Amino acid sequence: MTRERGQALLETILLGLLLMIPLVWLLSILADVHRSALATTAAVRNAGADAARETSVTAASRAIDDAVSRALADHGIATSGARVRWSAPPALRRGGAVEVEVSLPVSVLQAPFLGRIAGPAIWVNARHVTRIDLFRSRDG
Amino acid sequence: MRALAVLRQRGSAPVETIFAFVFVMTLALGAIQIAFSLYARNIVMTSTHEAARAAVERGRTEAEVHAIVRRVLGQGAGGVFRATRVEVVRHVEGTRLVVSVAVAGTIRSLGPFPASLPVTARAGAAGEAAVP
Repeated sequence: MTRERGQALLETILLGLLLMIPLVWLLSILADVHRSALATTAAVRNAGADAARETSVTAASRAIDDAVSRALADHGIATSGARVRWSAPPALRRGGAVEVEVSLPVSVLQAPFLGRIAGPAIWVNARHVTRIDLFRSRDG
Repeated sequence: MRALAVLRQRGSAPVETIFAFVFVMTLALGAIQIAFSLYARNIVMTSTHEAARAAVERGRTEAEVHAIVRRVLGQGAGGVFRATRVEVVRHVEGTRLVVSVAVAGTIRSLGPFPASLPVTARAGAAGEAAVP
């Protein structure tokens, strides 16, 4: 019995540390999912608003790319993995709807200070529909 | 001899339990504080982005842009973040107005440990420049 003195405390400390590792790992992934959700939401909202103000489909496409990359960069996320889909009425006619959807993978296999490893990912999606102003002035 | 050993250990289990409990509680509260800090950092980032976005709408004066950025930051992240430096740069690129916002400050301690974490965020937004 004397030999076992203090063993419970030692076991608790070891077990606690073992539990902390997956917990911190899980927290970092959840924080990343939260950050990605905020970033994609901001990206689609800004992209939709910018595209709805443009006068041509080419300019709208450029505006969407610019808005999405800016929003993701502001949240510290690389744009390389992002998928952007959008649709708009022909010639961006007034009263039409611009729909933008951004999907972003959040890698599950990552750890603080070690970075991401290729593997399973949680996809975060955001979709936004913006109405083109009915009274929008146009060139020509 | 055996009885003496048992006597010496009397009361050791509660003491060990108290130490273990304190240790486990510290770990749990530390994990909660990490989670809060990560959450607050995300909120600061997105508030900075929203501030730049709100400030880029055309027809704003320099003073209005600064006021908007400070107000959006205060509303979005004021509860968790104390800004020590807010820089707003506004310039025109061709036909587009670009607003860049840089924020530095500390995340308030949101747990049992009195540690204010420093955080910086940078954001930009582009919009239509004012037509003269």
